[in-house]
Amino acid sequence: MKGRGVIQKKICMLGGFAVGKTSLVKRFVTAQFSEKYHTTIGVKIDQKSLCVDDTEVHLVLWDMYGEDDFQKVRASYLRGSSGYLLVIDGTRKETLDVARQLRLLASQSMGAVPYVLMINKHDLRESWKVTPEMYKDLASNACLVLQSSAKTGEGVELAFLELAKQMLKI
Amino acid sequence: MASGQGAKNNSMAGSQQPSSSSPRFSVKESKGFSHLRQLLLAPEQHELDRLKTRLDQFSLHPKDVGRVLPDAIRLRAQQDTRLLASLIPVTQEALALSIKQSPQLISDSIAPILGSAIRKAIAHAMRGLMQSLNQTLECSMSWRGLQWRWEAFRTGKSFAEVVLLHTLRFRVEQVFLIHKKTGLLLNHVVAEGVSGQGEEVISGMLTAIQDFVCDSFGQSQDEGLESIRIGDLTVWIEQGWGAILAGVIRGAPPMELREVFQETLETIHAQFSELLQAFQGDASSFQETRLQLEDCLQAQFEQKSRGLPWAFWIVLGLLMLGLGMWAFQAHADQQRWAYLLERLDQEPGLVMTSIQEEGTPTIYGLRDPLAINPDQILSDIGYSSQQVVFRLKPFMDLTPEFVQKRAMIQLRPPSSVVGNLEGTTLILKGEAPHSWIQQAHLLGPLLPGVTHIETRQLVDTDLKQFETLKAELESKTITFEVGNSDISLDQRSTIRDIDQTIQALDQTATILGIFPRIQIQGFTSPDGGKEVNQSLSALRAKAVLNELANGSFQAINLRTVGVGSDRLPALSSTGKAVSQERRVAFRVILPPPASVPKSRR
Ligand SMILES: Nc1nc2c(ncn2[C@@H]2O[C@H](COP(=O)(O)OP(=O)(O)OP(=O)(O)O)[C@@H](O)[C@H]2O)c(=O)[nH]1
Ligand SMILES: [Mg+2]
Repeated sequence: MKGRGVIQKKICMLGGFAVGKTSLVKRFVTAQFSEKYHTTIGVKIDQKSLCVDDTEVHLVLWDMYGEDDFQKVRASYLRGSSGYLLVIDGTRKETLDVARQLRLLASQSMGAVPYVLMINKHDLRESWKVTPEMYKDLASNACLVLQSSAKTGEGVELAFLELAKQMLKI
Repeated sequence: MASGQGAKNNSMAGSQQPSSSSPRFSVKESKGFSHLRQLLLAPEQHELDRLKTRLDQFSLHPKDVGRVLPDAIRLRAQQDTRLLASLIPVTQEALALSIKQSPQLISDSIAPILGSAIRKAIAHAMRGLMQSLNQTLECSMSWRGLQWRWEAFRTGKSFAEVVLLHTLRFRVEQVFLIHKKTGLLLNHVVAEGVSGQGEEVISGMLTAIQDFVCDSFGQSQDEGLESIRIGDLTVWIEQGWGAILAGVIRGAPPMELREVFQETLETIHAQFSELLQAFQGDASSFQETRLQLEDCLQAQFEQKSRGLPWAFWIVLGLLMLGLGMWAFQAHADQQRWAYLLERLDQEPGLVMTSIQEEGTPTIYGLRDPLAINPDQILSDIGYSSQQVVFRLKPFMDLTPEFVQKRAMIQLRPPSSVVGNLEGTTLILKGEAPHSWIQQAHLLGPLLPGVTHIETRQLVDTDLKQFETLKAELESKTITFEVGNSDISLDQRSTIRDIDQTIQALDQTATILGIFPRIQIQGFTSPDGGKEVNQSLSALRAKAVLNELANGSFQAINLRTVGVGSDRLPALSSTGKAVSQERRVAFRVILPPPASVPKSRR
């Protein structure tokens, strides 16, 4: 049944505001990038199909608004998600804390699901303030940790593919 | 409770033990005791024995199971659907076997519902057919239809689309079945002609909105959003514990549709509860919900009037009219055919021997060549000559009418002659030249059905001419001077007239085949001597004869005779009369009929 049918999976994009969640989805789905910043309000959903070992996987991507002091991410949006991308902005240390909170929230509402930790904006690595030391705790449980860039596309495909693989294993 | 029961048991065991196998009692005592016990405890003892044997051979007693079975099934079914699930295959197999073994029983029991189900299905199909027929007719015929065509042309939309927009009350265009927890799409159906796109995204969005509303307004997950409006579209959302049913509807849906949605969602929950619980992203098992979801794809179009639509009546009316015309035509055809046969039967000179009515009707028979052409009758009645075929052989009709007709055609009489058959005698009347009359006498007896020709009432125009000329000639005289036999100048024209008259007489006589003689009679006045007068009159007759056509005619003989004076001298006369006496006159003498052939050379 698995070989023939299509498997759908819900994935959430989690991370602080302006870390590049929307940009990563856009890069992944339409292979485009824009410098302009339009903050996401609520949730935006996209869909992209992948092939993992002869199985067609339809990823339904829930791109959340970035959490900040005024807006906490709602647990109800995370429900039913089979995995998530936890995004950190390499140029801003404070996005690490947000990521930690979100990981906690995710494990509460999704259970033990795989996640990929993405340190984004790698194209700006000169001005990165984040070092691997700082996110050791977050990386230890992640199925994959990578440095990515929505601008160059670095690590984007790989992140989604790996997450899809991990989700299918369960 | 448990301790009380235990105590009871112990006490019972205590009272029982000594009776069965206590060695302390003597045989005698035991006998008496046993007797006493028998007396006191016989019914209880009996009952105990019965229970003991039953416990020893404990197994489920069908009777006991039977008592609790109905309740057990009911209770288990309330708990969850596993009992149901395990019963399904057994029931199916039992049903299959039962159908195989006694089909009559099954068919008898489902027959009553089958009938009404079929009726319902047919009625449904008919309604659909009628509606679409009516809609098509209405759209293609009405003023409104034309307007819509114009609109379609103007806006570049398809005509069907324009019609849909105008006549649509509501239409469920898409139905989503969404897994509640993940927001993933379980199944999705679209109405005909609607293109569904990005249904997985829409499914997610609907869930997200749902979550947002529930979170923001503190509603429980089971309440949430029921309907969303986007312009022309309404999204109706039905919540279940495991799945959400969302219908995208164009127009204004009726509340009954809600019930349809609810029922559909309920049956899906009942059927797929375990799958919904265990859903991990593989929606293939939910393909089976397609039929149920498609039941939700309802639509309703504007209907102008209740009952049967007018266009249907028009079509029906046209049909009836057509049928009526056909029946009328058939009747008229029948009438016309009968009339044709009657006409042909009555027509003289035509005899029908047989009629073949299959295919192109063919009539076999006989026809007198003088009879009317049957094609004429056909065209009189309104048939074309291709519609009826005649196979007629010529024959001769001997009825008097045809004998007479045929005779008159063969005799070729002048137009003035009419013939009338009496018995076998053809009576001819009117006027005809002599030659024709003679020919008629010769041909008459040769004509079929004629033995005699009767011409007494027929005027011989040549004979009549002869008589006229004869009278004319005999009225003419040529006068002479006293004692003279020379023809004076003023008498020359009279001589010429007379000559012509005699020539005409000659011709007519030739036609008639007679040889008349013309006596040229010379006369004198009574004055003078008798002998002188005699010779003078002869001279005068001869003088006239000399003047006439050199004296040669085909049939006529000219003779001169000197009469002298034909008046007695005693009788006086007027002066004028005297001059009239010196004259020459003519007399035409016909030989007796018997002599005619003789005089012929
Ligand atoms: N140089 C560079 N800029 C990036 C990259 N990813 C995102 N950006 C920029 O960062 C800004 C924010 O990006 P978004 O993708 O909108 O961030 P977001 O996480 O969706 O933000 P919210 O929706 O507000 O939470 C935009 O101006 C992007 O152009 C990257 O990899 N490199
Ligand atoms: Mg965003």
